[in-house]
Amino acid sequence: MFEFMSWILGGRGRKKSKDLAKERLKLVLAHDRVEISPQAFEKLRRDLASACAKYVDIDETGMDIRFDSRDRALALVASVPVIGMKRGPYASKRRGNMN
Amino acid sequence: MSGKVMVVTSGKGGVGKTTAAANIGCALAVRGKKVALVDADIGLRNLDIVLGLENRIVFDIIHAMEGRCRLRQALIRDKRVQTLFLLPAAQSKDKDAIQPEQMKGLTSELADDFDYVILDCPAGIERGFKNAIAGAGTALIITTPEVSAVRDADRIVGLLEAEGIEKPKLVINRLRPDMVKRGDMLDIEDVIDILAIDLVGVVPDDEAVITSTNRGEPVVLNGASRAGEAFRRIAARIEGEDVPFLSMEIPSFWVRIKRFLGAGK
Repeated sequence: MFEFMSWILGGRGRKKSKDLAKERLKLVLAHDRVEISPQAFEKLRRDLASACAKYVDIDETGMDIRFDSRDRALALVASVPVIGMKRGPYASKRRGNMN
Repeated sequence: MSGKVMVVTSGKGGVGKTTAAANIGCALAVRGKKVALVDADIGLRNLDIVLGLENRIVFDIIHAMEGRCRLRQALIRDKRVQTLFLLPAAQSKDKDAIQPEQMKGLTSELADDFDYVILDCPAGIERGFKNAIAGAGTALIITTPEVSAVRDADRIVGLLEAEGIEKPKLVINRLRPDMVKRGDMLDIEDVIDILAIDLVGVVPDDEAVITSTNRGEPVVLNGASRAGEAFRRIAARIEGEDVPFLSMEIPSFWVRIKRFLGAGK
């Protein structure tokens, strides 16, 4: 229903092209600004995964790591899916996110 | 007198650097300031033809640097605006003909004699760019509301910072209010949000820029042009005046008629 309403009210369900431009630019600029090589970035990803894996069971293939920037300041944003806890009586098998 | 040395740069080509340099320089000169426009695009000379001074070149920047003429001999005085001068680029040499140190010397010599020394930087981030920014104290970054131009502008901000040129000012060129209204063009806030630098002006897309360039007359000398007005306001802001930004609203039918009649006078 909501989708139908937004389809009627604006954009015919399509995102405005300028919003797409802005999103794409922000992502690409965050990476441009870091000037990190793809190799170094891959190593960072793997080191981060092994660091997390020491404490919790993670799904390495589901990891999402990216740079974000606001006012020319950088942040490394990582989303790491947790499959389960390493030990403890309440270890859960449910998937979750650890930010 | 020690003037301001300002480089006009963009990274990407074709966004209107030369037009902006010519018009901002001309507008500052109309305000009574003594302005030297320096074409730093060695081998791709263009500022002369935009200003309509292409037939008056005897010596160029390389002649002056190599001591084959005195600096003031290479400077061409504009006949319309008496306080505007052009130092043309060499057309037969390439960008390797100059060292950054030579450029520094030249700009500081000019700054002794002028209120503003404005350098028109070549596109790219290589040698020509490094030469053009060598002597600059401040920078104007020109961009258009397109992804490629904004991305390159961001790279330039980083490179200028690395060279110690802090807080460059942003000019958004060729904005199309109709496309912005439809959501089909990045708007002013979007570009500022992405680049995170201070805005000094927004220039609407205006056919008068092309027609006046055809004639070799800076568009700031055309009182009826919207782009001309935008460049005049940028000059005022560079001078420290607090002027409102030009409205980017789409003018109504009647306003357009009035403007048309006004322009026809």
